[in-house]
Amino acid sequence: MNLFSFLDLGIALLYFLGALLFVGGVLGNNAQLKKVSLIFTVLGFGLHTGDLGLKLALTSEFTFTQGRFYFSFLAWTFLLIYLLLWLRLKLQFLALTAAPLALILFTSSMVVNTAELAIPEQLSYLWFGLHVTSLFISIALLAMASGAGICYLFLDKQLKNKTKPGKLRKGFPALSSFDTVNHWAVSIGFPLFTVGALSGFLWARFTWGQMFTWDPKEVLTIITWFLFAYLFHQRLAVGWKGKKPARLATWLFLLSLVSLLIINFFFPTHHSFQS
Amino acid sequence: MQQSIYLLGLNHRTAPVEVRERFALTGQANRDIDSLEGGPIHELLAMSTCNRVEILAVADNAADPVATLITRWADVCQCEPDLLGEHCYVYRGLEAVRHVFTVTASLDSMVVGEPQILGQIKDAYRTAVHEGTSKVILNRLMHKAFSVAKRIRTETGIAQHAVSISYAAVELAKDIFDQLDNRQAMLIGAGEMAELAASHLLSAGLSGLLVSNRTLVRAEELAERFCGKAVPFPEIFDHLHEADIVISSTGAQEPVIRAQDMPPVLKKRKNRPMFFIDIAVPRNIDPDLNNLDNVYLYDIDDLKGIVEGNLAQRREEAELAHRIIDEEVGRFDAWLQALSLKPTIVDLLQHGEDVARKELNKTLKKLDPDLDQEIKQAMETLALSLGRKLYHHPITFLKRRAGEEESLQYFISMTRRMFDLDQDGPSPPTHKPKGSGGGGSE
Repeated sequence: MNLFSFLDLGIALLYFLGALLFVGGVLGNNAQLKKVSLIFTVLGFGLHTGDLGLKLALTSEFTFTQGRFYFSFLAWTFLLIYLLLWLRLKLQFLALTAAPLALILFTSSMVVNTAELAIPEQLSYLWFGLHVTSLFISIALLAMASGAGICYLFLDKQLKNKTKPGKLRKGFPALSSFDTVNHWAVSIGFPLFTVGALSGFLWARFTWGQMFTWDPKEVLTIITWFLFAYLFHQRLAVGWKGKKPARLATWLFLLSLVSLLIINFFFPTHHSFQS
Repeated sequence: MQQSIYLLGLNHRTAPVEVRERFALTGQANRDIDSLEGGPIHELLAMSTCNRVEILAVADNAADPVATLITRWADVCQCEPDLLGEHCYVYRGLEAVRHVFTVTASLDSMVVGEPQILGQIKDAYRTAVHEGTSKVILNRLMHKAFSVAKRIRTETGIAQHAVSISYAAVELAKDIFDQLDNRQAMLIGAGEMAELAASHLLSAGLSGLLVSNRTLVRAEELAERFCGKAVPFPEIFDHLHEADIVISSTGAQEPVIRAQDMPPVLKKRKNRPMFFIDIAVPRNIDPDLNNLDNVYLYDIDDLKGIVEGNLAQRREEAELAHRIIDEEVGRFDAWLQALSLKPTIVDLLQHGEDVARKELNKTLKKLDPDLDQEIKQAMETLALSLGRKLYHHPITFLKRRAGEEESLQYFISMTRRMFDLDQDGPSPPTHKPKGSGGGGSE
């Protein structure tokens, strides 16, 4: 056990408490509990930031080429996006999505040990950073949109069926708040997703000489991109609001999860975490 | 002499408003009723609201203070006492305590759980304190009543749910729109109900109002009152897209808005959500509207359903609240009982012994376990006698006051608070100016 293992455990514990207490706070409509959980989550995020920075600076085996780095970094991005949305839209409610997802990803990063990405030598860190960062931010935005989308669908159903407002609804944000999250996720997330995917393809072109190699991850990315483009168009040009974009964003997030977790581990791909 | 708490009152159930207004008491009433020094009445608090007039008093048991209070109350109001006696309810002792807790927690109000009553009682109490008619017992009783009311408010959902139709509509609007201050509503038909709902929405922050009515004059009149804009009835569909919330209440027999009218409106709004409230019977808005995306339609029965559910919930919560009150009445009783000399002396000595034993155990733990039995015995005797001796003077002091009823109560209450004998933690700041106490640097 070195210092970092302790730090990791501490962060995981904070995220765990944050996620658990927030879910409890929402179910019991307890504002106090939610506040405490947010304190834990923010503390965890602070430690996590330090942890990432220190590890990159101090340890040689923890680098951009490691699977565990990606999970940790993705968890961090989720929380970053959550905190930005919280500040911007006053929607602390999305901790319901952000805290558990960050917890899952961060604990995976502690477990994923062996994986080492096969990244060729001539890699430009800058280019690669662009690829990873923009995709991660757009996935984090999609995660928030899907959390907001599920909440939207729940509340919409309750309102349409004239269900009597129960305890759970008391602390619920309004429908239009959830829809605003979707709007942000789509209008910022799609351009970022495009940049991320495109930089990946261009990089493949320069590195392997071929832009598209029928790699399963590439295929799925193309599909996701088309669906995302459709959502982007419908939302911004046609004026989709409410249920339809909420549903589609949720599916898009599930697709990215499949791409991130299932394909990276179980399929032969350039992005494989298997050594 | 033995004292008791008495409560006399009129409320919306026992007396019609003509009677209540004749017996309403103003701020100075406390002194007027409690005028005689050395009389049977020791403490007094009077309060009037639109639904109740009540007098709370602490008086000697022997002289029947109820008759005295009724006569004086009638005198102050210059009315005949018989009329008052006819409508007046009287509670004694713990029943009076329970009634005060119930009223303060808004369980006895016309609308159970309404929040104004607490403020009104606090004002009445402040007046009584100011006039010096509220002393040891009423001070404690009222402070307790306020904390019970707060406890009930936080521990039960008594005040949580909308219980009027227009308020329920506002709550629903808040479920759909995150803020109301950039939203606009449209009234179709200018009935009384619609007016009420609109004024609730406006006070919740709505930015604008469109009013449409078959007779344009009425629409203009209403629009002017709410700083809105009148829309001629045939032009409704030219303006419908500007409205986020639509309240309809016309006497029309046919639907005014049908589902097939909506797609162009929604398109103009870029699908921003719309909330329709249809309080007309027969309904003005085609029920199929509710099946459209981003459109929510509630008719009068839907709203009633929500309100009734909430009322039932309030009743359930009220039961829970009564259980809390039972518990607190018990505690207050314990305090009242302890307000005489003997239990206080026992409590004081017990307190001394508890402290002595605690410290003794702490010290013994630190010392060698094989310490001589004799030394242990001596230490115990020392600690216990210190505990007793320290309280000797306060106890003698209290005993000397035993003849003076008024000051004895004051000193006992003071002693109990000073040594925290009722174990309710640091006492709340009292109404008296904070002169003593405070920093330890004096």
